[in-house]
Amino acid sequence: MSTAETSSERELQAENEILRARVAALESELVEVQARTNAVVAQWQERAYWLDRWHLDLNALMRKPGAAELRGALRAIRSVVRAYKRARRSLSRS
Amino acid sequence: MTSVATVIPVKDGERYLEELLAALAREGVQEVLVIDSGSHDRSLEIARAAGVELLEIAPEQFSHGRTRNLGAERTSGELICFLTQDATPCPGWLAAYLDAFALEQHVGAAYGPHLPRADTSPMIARELTEFFAGFEAQPSGQNGNARAHGPVVQRAGDVSFLSNVNACYARACWEEIRFRDVRYSEDQAFGADMLAAGWTKVYQPAAAVLHAHDYSTAEFMRRYFDEYRGLRQTSGHVEPFAISATARHVLSEVAADRRWMSERDMDAATRMRWTTRSLAHHAGRRVFSAIGSRSERLPNALHRRLSLEGRGAEAANGQPAQGAGEVSPVPATAQIEQKLSGEVYDVVAEVWRDGPAPLSDPVPGMAERERLRLAMVIPPFSRGSGGHNTLFQIFSRLERRGHTCSVWLADYNGYARDVWPAVLREEINEYFAPFKGPVYKGFADWQGADVAIATGWQTVHAMLQLERCRARAYVVNDHEPEFYPASVEQSLAADTYRYDLHCIAASPWLRDQLIERYGASAEAFQLGVDHNTYQPRPVARRPATVVYYARYVTPRRAVPIGLMALAELKRRRPDVRIVLFGANEVLHASFPYEHVTVLSPEQLSWLYSEATVGLCLSLTNFSLMPKEMLACGLPCVELAGISAESIFGTDGPLELASLDPNRLADAMERLLVDRERWERRSREGIEFVASHTWEHATDEVEAGLRHALREREALADTAIR
Repeated sequence: MSTAETSSERELQAENEILRARVAALESELVEVQARTNAVVAQWQERAYWLDRWHLDLNALMRKPGAAELRGALRAIRSVVRAYKRARRSLSRS
Repeated sequence: MTSVATVIPVKDGERYLEELLAALAREGVQEVLVIDSGSHDRSLEIARAAGVELLEIAPEQFSHGRTRNLGAERTSGELICFLTQDATPCPGWLAAYLDAFALEQHVGAAYGPHLPRADTSPMIARELTEFFAGFEAQPSGQNGNARAHGPVVQRAGDVSFLSNVNACYARACWEEIRFRDVRYSEDQAFGADMLAAGWTKVYQPAAAVLHAHDYSTAEFMRRYFDEYRGLRQTSGHVEPFAISATARHVLSEVAADRRWMSERDMDAATRMRWTTRSLAHHAGRRVFSAIGSRSERLPNALHRRLSLEGRGAEAANGQPAQGAGEVSPVPATAQIEQKLSGEVYDVVAEVWRDGPAPLSDPVPGMAERERLRLAMVIPPFSRGSGGHNTLFQIFSRLERRGHTCSVWLADYNGYARDVWPAVLREEINEYFAPFKGPVYKGFADWQGADVAIATGWQTVHAMLQLERCRARAYVVNDHEPEFYPASVEQSLAADTYRYDLHCIAASPWLRDQLIERYGASAEAFQLGVDHNTYQPRPVARRPATVVYYARYVTPRRAVPIGLMALAELKRRRPDVRIVLFGANEVLHASFPYEHVTVLSPEQLSWLYSEATVGLCLSLTNFSLMPKEMLACGLPCVELAGISAESIFGTDGPLELASLDPNRLADAMERLLVDRERWERRSREGIEFVASHTWEHATDEVEAGLRHALREREALADTAIR
């Protein structure tokens, strides 16, 4: 076997090693990304348990006519209640 | 001259029948057939007195289409007129029909208007008048031959309306088309069918009859229910319904009725009285029409109550009439809409057509990687599902070992249709084992996996369609083709072992079945026991007590043989106490016994700890229950020659007997009588299952999953070389 051939083989082997290492790194990155995705989905499923149990799709519900108006009315009531509480607190301080 | 026959179906029609038959005689109709379907009034007497032909049929043989076909068959006229029992032909009726058929060569049918009688309510009178006036005003589709108050030829593309209250058919047309064998709206169906076949029909204003239904408001509503139910059946029409549109419609109809009354100079009191009826009539009509055309959603008893004819759902759908030879026994067909999609069979068909999805290229060293991406595809489950318990005991532990795990529910038959993913996930945690990963329904969010794992025959074909998988494996809990008699399910279950999936089988016996019968690549794992729960409890054993897992809803549990064996044991030893568990329903047996229902694992461990002998039979793969009995120190009798020997050997801790009630009774009796034998079996049982843990089962399954990946790597290496 000539010296040139041996050297070329070594280079190929080294390149192979680099590529294998790169593949391994990408693989572990893929596993990590999927693990994080799974964790996020599972966390949301945990939070959404009662919505799913009661078959409530809030996005669909808020798309119904009148839903935005109802939400606006609730916000208005909430702001009035907050203003009242603030006023009562400031009166009790003074 | 053209011969004419008239057919009149009758039931309790005495009110107008005499007048009708007299009118036909006046018109000169040569052949009149009355078909009576069980009248209790004077109808038969009137028909006989008029000298017309009379055919009596049983009420249950009547249907609008079938009975009219029968009438047409029983007469011979070139034209066949159909009238209802309350439709009286006006003068000139027959001549008008003869004129109508002379208009063109290809006239298949003609129909005339229904004029209100003197006592007809304003709502119905207006409706009839305006309805038929609409046909007069409407020019025919092609040749525009309509003239005011003259006959109108209708062709394909024109309105298909036809009414057997007052209609006349050319025999040639009827012979070609015939009335559909439906209970209602057979005339509408005929109108559509004949136009489609190239016949024409004629609206003949001069061929009028006096006709009106004399119903109360409630009866009208029930009639509308019948009519629209029939219309749905024949044409698929579904009456739209919306509250605001209905309100608008009712108000405009009431206003029109009031105008009609004013034009006829009715006094104010009469107008007011009819206005109230008009409001109820039009509102009720809209509601009951809508209900009638959606009647398939109603229970049968309600059908019968709402129907004026008192017919339930099955009758409305056209059950066959019994008895008379003249009536076809073939039931009416019903149009069934598509309800399901993506059933398990559709998925199978797709896999058979397109083959499995290609696997992703293997990556060197992937089988040895510490953390794998595992996706388990499961069938729907319920509390107490043994197979799912095995799967999640293992999958939960794989997750704890650091693998990235997700669960995918394949639910093609919609068993879990109303259960949303977060609830499924919670149920898995509650019923089986802790699981922290996500649970998906269906595969819309499929992300790929290192190993996709099928877990039951219903999941395999779905799993084969999933892309971006490095390898596939199949956790096989039992030989599922044996769950079914000769059937599609049996064939499909067997089919799942033929896709070169690496099988991880729940016993050496099952592994051997897969290899020998299907040539599959397979290895075995041993079911684990939860030793924290299943252990001898501090309770005294009751003498001569046999506990039997009598789950009769699972045929592979051989319950009839088990009961025969216990009956034989009881005959030999009347003092034996027998306890049956595993099913909520009480079984009838030829011996007295005690019954406990489905128990929790904790309760089972106490039951096993106080009994003397356990009996648990399986005709297929060995189950977890005998191991759990042994773990509680309870010797157990099982079937010999099936799967138990592959785990316990021929003389292991189990007492084995053939599938014979006497041999099984022998085995139980040996344990009850021979104290030394009992103690040896009890001791050996505890020792034997001590090493059977879920951790060990998880080791074996994990090795199987890595084997599947290794096989892929090996195949890729071979391909490169």
